[in-house]
Amino acid sequence: MKKGILYLNQFFGQIGGEDKADYEPSIHDGQVGAGLLLNNLLEDAEITHTVICGDNFMGSNEEAAVDSILGFLEGKEFDIFFAGPAFQAGRYGNACGVICKAVKEKFGVPVVTSMHQENPGVDMFKKDIYILRGGPSAANMKKDMPKMAGLGNKLLKGEEIKGAEAEGYYPRGIRFEIFLEDETPASERAISMLLKKINNEPFVSELPIPELETVPIAPAIKLADAKIALITSGGIVPVDNPDKIQSASATRWGRYSIEGMKRLGNEADGAFKTIHAGYDPSAANADPNITLPLDALRAYEEEGKIGSIHDYYYATVGTGTAEGEAARMALEIIEYLKADNVDAVILTST
Amino acid sequence: MRLEIGNFHVHNVEFGKTSSYKDGTLTINKEEALAVVLEDEHITDADIVLTKPGDDVRIVPVKEAIEPRFRLNGGPAFPGVTGKIERVGSGKAVALKNCSVLAVGKHWGSFGDGLIDMSGEGAKYSIFSKLNNICLVADTDEEFERHQIQKKNHALRWAAHRLAEYLGSIVKDMTPDSSELFELEPITKRDEKVQGLPSVVFVMQPQSQIEESGFNDLVYGWDTNTMLPTYMHPNEVLDGAMIGGSYMCCSSKWSTYDFQNCPTIKSLYNEHGKTINFLGVIMSNLNVSLEQKERAAMFVQQIASNLGADAAIITEEGYGNSDADFIECIRLLEEAGIKTVGLTNECTGRDGLSQPLAALDISADAIVSCGNVSTLIELPPMGTVIGELESLMRDGLSGGWAGDEKLGPSVREDGSIIMENNSMFCGDSTLGQSPKMVIEF
Amino acid sequence: MVKEIEKAGITVVQMANLIPIARTVGSNRMVPTISIPYPLGDPKTSKEEQWKLRYHRVGVALDALSTDIEEQTVFEV
Repeated sequence: MKKGILYLNQFFGQIGGEDKADYEPSIHDGQVGAGLLLNNLLEDAEITHTVICGDNFMGSNEEAAVDSILGFLEGKEFDIFFAGPAFQAGRYGNACGVICKAVKEKFGVPVVTSMHQENPGVDMFKKDIYILRGGPSAANMKKDMPKMAGLGNKLLKGEEIKGAEAEGYYPRGIRFEIFLEDETPASERAISMLLKKINNEPFVSELPIPELETVPIAPAIKLADAKIALITSGGIVPVDNPDKIQSASATRWGRYSIEGMKRLGNEADGAFKTIHAGYDPSAANADPNITLPLDALRAYEEEGKIGSIHDYYYATVGTGTAEGEAARMALEIIEYLKADNVDAVILTST
Repeated sequence: MRLEIGNFHVHNVEFGKTSSYKDGTLTINKEEALAVVLEDEHITDADIVLTKPGDDVRIVPVKEAIEPRFRLNGGPAFPGVTGKIERVGSGKAVALKNCSVLAVGKHWGSFGDGLIDMSGEGAKYSIFSKLNNICLVADTDEEFERHQIQKKNHALRWAAHRLAEYLGSIVKDMTPDSSELFELEPITKRDEKVQGLPSVVFVMQPQSQIEESGFNDLVYGWDTNTMLPTYMHPNEVLDGAMIGGSYMCCSSKWSTYDFQNCPTIKSLYNEHGKTINFLGVIMSNLNVSLEQKERAAMFVQQIASNLGADAAIITEEGYGNSDADFIECIRLLEEAGIKTVGLTNECTGRDGLSQPLAALDISADAIVSCGNVSTLIELPPMGTVIGELESLMRDGLSGGWAGDEKLGPSVREDGSIIMENNSMFCGDSTLGQSPKMVIEF
Repeated sequence: MVKEIEKAGITVVQMANLIPIARTVGSNRMVPTISIPYPLGDPKTSKEEQWKLRYHRVGVALDALSTDIEEQTVFEV
């Protein structure tokens, strides 16, 4: 028999209403309130403990609440963690999201909650955890709890979790390929989509265009005393590729000294070349400065237009490289940049 | 243009004294077939190995696939490759269906090569697992590229085309098991009923991003890197005018077989005269610099507009920076009021979290998504390997690697493998075969 | 990569040929290069011409770093 733990707010945990919203976290053996329903719906598992916390307490003392709940769970055996359903209750939705995310990170067990689409907790946490689509109010308890139990049963049995639409959870921003059961080839899907589009009928794109994510613009720098670093995704490396950076789908990067170098030597000199598989390498092998413009930057350093050049350049390969990997590599590189007080970066990409 | 393809449905392939075809069995005189292969002195070693669906067989490195064909009106089946330049797409041809000639490296692989499993879990990743494969396994004296990641694979690819034409010739005087007719009249000569239907063009963006010749897809033997978008009859595509290249990550690639059997062209033919007026194909390409991408997209917009297209289907043979060509074309077609549906695959990373296309635009509101190149695939050993398994990890195949901190090498001692979909042979079939879709999790 | 660097408060300029891609990944300061295989020097031209082009565009990139901007900006070369 597998074991699950459920998180409820003060109301569903039968502590009280709004007047008890400051209730500090507590843990109880067995099932309380809505936990009875969940327990009955689980196939080969039981709810061994129920955690209860007031919504306002979680809202205004998040760190303390999370710490104390994680403390309760320490040393307890459990295979899954549930929270809610939170319906359209905003503070409860936030609490379910916060605690599910924390439990998942600390204990590595699957976590499941449920919220109505207008609950702000959905957008805050849908990328981190399974949030099932739920109804707006507690009147939907008998619909939403079985959905939580259903996904929980699948997770506990190690069954394949299908896509967001099929399972009824909010998309987590993860896209994977599936094999269509009816094997409808892409050509037929394209024709059918085209006919709908021509006839102004509704159609569903298989690739909804995500919104562009931007970052705050970093301020302008004063060039005259700035230290500038060069980074490239064009795969310029020492000819022996000492860090074995992959030619595509790279997960590695390199940091190479350019101290005192006026320009990058080429492949024939036994100095630098490109290992990028996404373009014709001959020009960059003959003169790596066309991809990593050290020579030009040195000229500006000598003229005094910039203060100095950081003694190392950084390189990886940008073809087919996963965004998550690129972000991780960037964070690793940034540590070196910060340590050497680099003010600005010229990043060349191919 | 009117093209009649006489089909011979091959259920069994075997070697025998005389090359012949009878009741679904194709018999190959190996010596005669190899003589055709060895016409090129650069082929130093060659063998033909047969395999069929369900066999406990893994094939790698696969460089090209071709459906055996022969043109009955004279002229080469693959103009510019197996013979001089002659127009194809009309008249009569014969085809050996349900089979393909595969060009397989005896040892050496390259970036664009792929893998095919003939049975088991791996078989679902490539449509070529469902065909009777006639594998030309060969080595060449092309020393200049022996240890290059990118190889032109010229000798082997051309030999496979010669072999495909030779096999096609076996049935040239026979009555086909069935036949297919592809006929599309000139645009202004169609009857009123057809003219009244919404007009649709098919825009193809074959892979053409290497500036040095010898790697890209060919049109009548001409490197597609050096062309501007042009209007073609769909029959030319089905009849050997287009030849697969030797550069792109394999699951994104279109082999010659894929061109010859292009499912989207066939689907458009099926709808022609019923729901749409199929205008034909705009053969575009994929480029390297922004200026080239913009110029090609501009030509596509201009041709589509002046043909009077109301709608378009567009497909790209590639991902990464070629997504910019694809998206720019869609943007310009939509700008011209042409309702467009795009076919592509995605690169969302092994964790599925990456931006699906390198370039995106809100005008691309109707996309059919054929696969994720970065899907991680782990497969058990197979009893027999045709080619050389080590090539997957040794030779820079786009979906294989020599070492990885977490995953280890792509090829393990027991013959089991771990790889990215990137190297599944023509697995994402963006010409329309793909039964895959990318969905949100 | 460029987003992470900017998030860390380090001013960054991306030199890229494919501006639509740079824009899609959220780059704020962009300077166009002439191609993918040879961003800053066409091998079909003389060494001197390549140098001039490279010196000029790197100069534009440096000026971009020292310019305050309000939105994603492509600096003219």
